[in-house]
Amino acid sequence: MSESNGHRPLVLVAEDDADILALVAYRLERSGYEVVTASNGQEALDRAAERAPDLAVLDVMMPKVDGYGVTERLREDPDTARTPIILLTARVQEADVARGFEAGADDYLKKPFSPAELRARVQAILGRR
Amino acid sequence: MVDFLAALAGGLASGGVLMIVLLVARRLWAARHERERRGREARVGPLALALLGGENSEGIEALGAEDRAALGTLLARYGRSVSGESLERIAEFCEREGLVDRALEALTHRRAWRRARAAFSLGDMASRRAAPALLVAVTDDRREVRAAAVRSLGRLGVTSAAEPLALALAEGTVPRAIVAQALLGLGCGAAPRLRALAGHQDASVRAAAAELLGLVGEAADARVLTEMLCDPAAEVRAGAAQALGRIGAEDAVRELRGALSDRIPFVRTQAAHALGTVGAAEAELTAQARERPYDPAHAAAQALARGAPAALERAARHPDASTHLLEAADLMAVRGS
Repeated sequence: MSESNGHRPLVLVAEDDADILALVAYRLERSGYEVVTASNGQEALDRAAERAPDLAVLDVMMPKVDGYGVTERLREDPDTARTPIILLTARVQEADVARGFEAGADDYLKKPFSPAELRARVQAILGRR
Repeated sequence: MVDFLAALAGGLASGGVLMIVLLVARRLWAARHERERRGREARVGPLALALLGGENSEGIEALGAEDRAALGTLLARYGRSVSGESLERIAEFCEREGLVDRALEALTHRRAWRRARAAFSLGDMASRRAAPALLVAVTDDRREVRAAAVRSLGRLGVTSAAEPLALALAEGTVPRAIVAQALLGLGCGAAPRLRALAGHQDASVRAAAAELLGLVGEAADARVLTEMLCDPAAEVRAGAAQALGRIGAEDAVRELRGALSDRIPFVRTQAAHALGTVGAAEAELTAQARERPYDPAHAAAQALARGAPAALERAARHPDASTHLLEAADLMAVRGS
């Protein structure tokens, strides 16, 4: 686990849609997590380099670096190599899902998504660690 | 004459200045309207998030009319991205606020853009009560209204829309991509209605039903689709072959092999694609890859690359290997390296 504010796990949320970013951040904060946000892939990598998150929720279709690229680079960094990653995306063709897992993602959630389900998945993953 | 021309020039200049003034004024008004809209959304944003999460949202009662409208617009936007309980809360809010009733009324407006906007918004509001009206809007005389209605029916998951969607696809009254996306929203619940269209009197409807079954069908639909491989209309046979490939119907290999001998090239093409997916009929595909018509031969070579790469390598080494086989083998080697 990374150094967190108090005992709250740190979740990195990266999404270029401002509405979805606000929704996911709000839901996770209300669930007791500390949340750091990014609106593109490069910003997500920068945030992760500043403080290694305990979990990352990444959109796939993002500018600068897409979700797959962020996942791969997080896996290459020793500080974030074991960080659980949930991909949140509308791309749910078999090839897209396979690519996400090959990049190193731990879970895949299709849009439109249930915020309650996302929170449950985050709780389930962080609860195992 | 000179006076007339001078007056005309003066009039045109004045008109130009007036036009510029009006354009600038309109621009300033639009910018101010946008600032106000963003300000309202920033104020109601926390209430929207609380409502989506099922939390205390008493502050909504104190909102003025314009802020409540902004909240409705923001929630409708969220409606495109969320599902489950959050979407149900959006639907409840929109019903309570009368937004659904207003949109239903606008579906009969004389202006097409208002009908289209209403049809689109009903999908975002997740109002299943709007389904009958949207089904009627699928037959609107304006394309944009039909497209918006189809999109919303898909968002709402209205399985009874399967037949109108198949008709819309067959008649080309709604763009194919919108119909396909809507059908994916209906999911496998639409399959029974599509199977029922396999016996429709119109061949284009049968073909559309076959194609759509490939999107939402499952292995159990292979029986209906293999029967459609014997349809008198080539477009139906091609659609059935394509669908069998999509659902991965290994039980239909024998019938798909038979379709490789179809007299119509595009049927043979779709059969080759399908066999490439299920990974069968190497000998027949190799023979088809040597055909003269381009599309069936090319499809057969690509199918071998996908489903039987070893057979492709052998066929490409043959002295009489066709250009399609050689090309497919070279591409396979490049991808593999």
